[in-house]
Amino acid sequence: MSNASPSALRSAGLARRAGAPARKNWPRLLLWRALLLAAFLACWYAAASRSPAFILPGPEKVWHALRGMMANASFTHDVGMTMYRVVMGFLLAALVGTPLGLALGASRWLAEVFEPVLAVLNTVSSAIWAVFAIIWFGISDATTIFVVFMTAMPLILTNVWQGARNVDKQLVDLARSLRLSRPRILLRIHLPSILPYFFSGARLAFGFGWRVSLVAETLGASDGIGYRLRQAADLVQTDQVFAWTLLLVVLMLALEGGVLKPLERHLFRWKPH
Amino acid sequence: MSAPARAARAPAVPAAALQVEAVSHYFGSLEVLRNVSFDVAPGEIVALLGASGCGKSTLLNLVAGLEPLQQGGIGLPPSASLGYMFQEDRLLPWRNVRDNVAFGLEASGLPQARRRQRALDTLALVGLDGFAQAWPHELSGGMRSRAALARTLVMQPDLLLMDEPFSKLDPHTRSQMHEELLRIQAAQRSTILFVTHDVEEAVVLADRIVLLAPRPGRIREIVPVDLPRPRHPTAPDVAETTRHLRLKVQP
Repeated sequence: MSNASPSALRSAGLARRAGAPARKNWPRLLLWRALLLAAFLACWYAAASRSPAFILPGPEKVWHALRGMMANASFTHDVGMTMYRVVMGFLLAALVGTPLGLALGASRWLAEVFEPVLAVLNTVSSAIWAVFAIIWFGISDATTIFVVFMTAMPLILTNVWQGARNVDKQLVDLARSLRLSRPRILLRIHLPSILPYFFSGARLAFGFGWRVSLVAETLGASDGIGYRLRQAADLVQTDQVFAWTLLLVVLMLALEGGVLKPLERHLFRWKPH
Repeated sequence: MSAPARAARAPAVPAAALQVEAVSHYFGSLEVLRNVSFDVAPGEIVALLGASGCGKSTLLNLVAGLEPLQQGGIGLPPSASLGYMFQEDRLLPWRNVRDNVAFGLEASGLPQARRRQRALDTLALVGLDGFAQAWPHELSGGMRSRAALARTLVMQPDLLLMDEPFSKLDPHTRSQMHEELLRIQAAQRSTILFVTHDVEEAVVLADRIVLLAPRPGRIREIVPVDLPRPRHPTAPDVAETTRHLRLKVQP
């Protein structure tokens, strides 16, 4: 049989590989997205020209405020502080949530005991954590880090737990039949099986952490983006509020498109599209 | 467990590639195997044939050491290496085909470059050269089955254990895989113990068929298959033997 089939098989395989993403349409997509952006700007412009600047500043006013803001000496400090708090809270959450998730996945008993704790953690609002954090830590970095941690940790924990429960028993048996040692099986089967779950949990946690960090900073910080946002709002500098918002959106998009998406595409290139 | 138990895994009889002696097995209070004895000669293909529930897979897991032995003895030549091919292909979705095959050598201690080279050689053997870099999800069922076979063959096992490895393939692909397996077996003189509930598959592949009766699993009869090779399922002698055996399996 092997005389005729290999070439037929090969072409079938290649066809399937090439057919995966529809890349041909991207110029059209880009055009439509540009049109969407233009429409958005036009609406904004029209609405702003009809209302006072302290309620809805126009695009050019916000752009101006953004340039002024970025020229300010404290700008990098504020962005840096917020970044530092989010990353610290997130790293702590990953460091604590991952082993806990693995432990819950490994032991059904532990999972049953801790299930209600997780339910409680998931129902408490981030704003409540922020209030607690101010009571416990006052105006300090720890306040924001704590809030990010409390928001991100359950998300990472739940996802890693899910992943640990979904490790394919058949693949573990395969590795055992190949005489792999226990640590080797953890490294070669469990780790790659759990990684996608960890990644989607971490992504969710980072996004949430980033958003709640601003809430925490408006309440319990004396610098950072959240603090500047509140300051601008208090002083009715609506154009500054808009400028910070715009900046946040751009930062998040850059992180998403520049780091997370490419990383995910590389890590999970083996997945069917 | 009602037994003297803890039987030795190697009552050294070098003549046989595998010796199963008076093996009985329980899952809790359920008796799955009763006093099963047979042996497999080097280079021989033996089929374990029976309906579901007669402990075929359990027996295979006992030989592979995936299930701890409770009663009886399983004799393998010292330092015999085993290859296990499961009912599912069990390819790791995050490894490409070459690295999936090389995974068979993961515990061998060979350096990675050597493992990969042997994986490529084995892929050529099963007719999958050119697919080394493909992901498992890009392969058809038959190709996945070939990759799984390559992963088992890459370590050059002394004894190949197969648990209905082709049962999920369509009939055409399955008989292709039969021919492929027999071609490789003839070239390498491999010893194969395989489990099936398909009488025709057993007749086409096996030198001897161990017929098992269900609940508890025990040997009903050991049937030598003396038909000339290659055996085609539709050839009169093969069809006749199949029909004859089928009557024994389903009385």
